[in-house]
Amino acid sequence: MLLKLTFNSLYARLLTVAMTVFAISLSLMLYMSVEKLRTSAYTSFTDTISQTDLIVGARTSSVQLLLYSVFRIGNATNNITWESYEDVINKKEVAWSVPISLGDSHKGFRVMGTNSEFFKRYKFRGGQSIELEQGNNLDDLYDVIIGAGVAEKLNYSVGTPLIVSHGLQSFSDHDDQPFKISGILAKTGTPVDNTVIVSLEAIEAIHVDWSTGAKIPGQITPVEEIRQMDLSPKNITAALIGVNSKLQIFQLQRWINEYPEESLSSILPGVALQELWRIVGVVENLLLGISVTVIFTTLIGMTAIIFSSLNERRREMAIWRAMGASPKVVIGLLMLEALIISVMSIIVSTVMLFLTLYVLQPWIDNTYGILVNIETLAVKDIYIFMLFILSASLVSLIPAIRAYWFSINDGMTIKI
Amino acid sequence: MKYIIYILLSFNLTTFTISAEETRQVDKHEHGVGELNIAVEGSTIEFEFMIPGADIVGFEYVAKSDDDIAKINQALKTFDDYTNIFTLPSNSLCELNGQKVALKEEDEHDDHDEHDDQDEHAEENHNEFYAKYSFECGNINAIKEVNFPYFATFTNSGELEVQFISNMGSTSFEVEGDEPSINTDGKI
Repeated sequence: MLLKLTFNSLYARLLTVAMTVFAISLSLMLYMSVEKLRTSAYTSFTDTISQTDLIVGARTSSVQLLLYSVFRIGNATNNITWESYEDVINKKEVAWSVPISLGDSHKGFRVMGTNSEFFKRYKFRGGQSIELEQGNNLDDLYDVIIGAGVAEKLNYSVGTPLIVSHGLQSFSDHDDQPFKISGILAKTGTPVDNTVIVSLEAIEAIHVDWSTGAKIPGQITPVEEIRQMDLSPKNITAALIGVNSKLQIFQLQRWINEYPEESLSSILPGVALQELWRIVGVVENLLLGISVTVIFTTLIGMTAIIFSSLNERRREMAIWRAMGASPKVVIGLLMLEALIISVMSIIVSTVMLFLTLYVLQPWIDNTYGILVNIETLAVKDIYIFMLFILSASLVSLIPAIRAYWFSINDGMTIKI
Repeated sequence: MKYIIYILLSFNLTTFTISAEETRQVDKHEHGVGELNIAVEGSTIEFEFMIPGADIVGFEYVAKSDDDIAKINQALKTFDDYTNIFTLPSNSLCELNGQKVALKEEDEHDDHDEHDDQDEHAEENHNEFYAKYSFECGNINAIKEVNFPYFATFTNSGELEVQFISNMGSTSFEVEGDEPSINTDGKI
C-alpha cells in the first residue's frame, strides 16, 4: 500500500524524478567506470608477463627496463653484449632464457628479434602460451611472425612481403632485404599483438651494411652472401630469465647487478610493476576521489530536490494525514522515495555502464591495450551500492523530518 | 717531432684503454631503507635482510670503542632470534632450519656527497647488517601475513623495501613502522 502510494507519487512527478535518477546514475557510472578501468588496467598489465623470474638489461631503472622489454614503451638506454648474456645464462641458477633485440620498426610497430625459446617460454595471463593462428615458425632467415593486432590493422596475411625500417621513426628502410610473413599469432591482449617478430640472426643480417646507426654509402652486400655469413648476434637489448629455484633468484639478481664486466640490471617483473603502479596510483586515487565527490554531490542534489518539492507537496501530505497516515508514515514515505530513487539509479547506472563498456571495449583494447572485463560487477561495487542506498536513506531523513514537522504543524489546514 | 707526436698519441691511447677497462661501481646505500627479500619454493620460505648499520646501531664506522663493539654484538645477538625481527603465523607450522647473521663491512669509497656531516670520520664505511633465515613449513599457505617487530626492536629503523617471489609471481611491498606487516594472502 505504502509502496504503491510512493510509486504513484513519484510517477506524478515523473520528469523531476527521471532527471534526478539520471543525474545520480551518471555519477555512479562515473565511479564504476573509473574503478573498472583501474582494475582492468592493473590486470592487463600484470597479465602481460607471467612465469618470467628476471628481466636482464643494461643498467637502468627497473620501471624503464620493464616498460621497454615487455610493454615496448620507451627505449633502451643501452644494449648488452652477447658475451655478458652468455655469462649470465651459464650461471647454474638459470633454467631458461629468452634473448630480445629491439630497435627497429615496421610502420610504427616494433620489430623484435628473438629465438624460438620466446614462443615456448613467454607466458601471459597466468601461464597461457602464445600460439600461431596461421602459418609457420621462423624457418627462413627472412621469415617474420606478426602479432594479431599488426595483421588486423595492416590487413596482412601469411606470405605478404614486409620491409623493416631502421630505428623507430626513421626514413631509412632495410629495403634491400625484404621479409616475408610466415606466421600470424593468435590474439593475446598483450603488447605481443603489436609486435613484428624476427630471428636474432635477421636483426644482424639487416645491419650488415650499417655502421654506427647509418648505412655505409655504396655498400650493398647481396642477400646470398649475407646468408653465408656468420650472423650470430653480437648484442641484445634484454633477456627474460627463468630460474631453477625461486630461492636462488635474489642471489642471481645480486650477481647480475654487480657483474663487473658490464653494467647490467636485473629486475623481478612483479616488483617493477608494483613500483610502476605506485606512480600511477596517485592519478588513480585522484580519479577515485573525484568520482566519490561526484556521488556525494548528487546525493546532496537528491536531498535538495526532495526538499524543494516539500512545499509543493504540503497539500498532498495533508491528504495523507486526512486518510489516517500518522506523521511517522510521512517520514517513511519520503525515505522510501529516496530508497526507490537510489535503487533505480543503481539499476540504470549498471545498465548504462555495461552498454558503454560493451560499445567502447574494442576501442579501449585497440588504443590502450587494456582489456576491460565486462562480465560481472565486482564485490566492491555491491558494497558501494549498499553504502549508497544507506547514505541516500540517511540523507533523506533531513527532508523527511522537516515534512514530519510540517505535517504535525499543518494538520489538515495548510498555512502557507 | 713526428715521432714525439706518435709516442704521445700511443701513450694517450694506452691510458685511455686502461681507464676504459676499469669498471667502477658502487652499491646503493640509503640510510633509513632496509632491504628484505622473501622467496618461497615448495614448503620452504627464506627471508634475507640487508639493513644499513645506521638503522640498527646508529653508526656505520668500524666499531673501535668498547661501547660501539658492545652495540654491534648486541645487535647481532638480537638478529640471532628471528622473532625480534619478524613473526610468522603459528598455524603455518614453520620451523627454522638455517640462519646466517653477519655484519658486512664495505670498503672505503669516494662517494661522500650524501654524508658531508660525517666527514670527520677518517674511515668512511657503510656497514650493513645481513641476516638470512630459512624455514620449512608444514602449512606454508597459512602464511597470509608477516609481522615485523623489527621496527619496535630497532628504534632507528626506517622502512623496509620488500621483494617477494613465489610460484604465484613476484611483487613488492614497502613496510613502515606505523603498519609493520605485509599481506601475503593469495601470493604464496
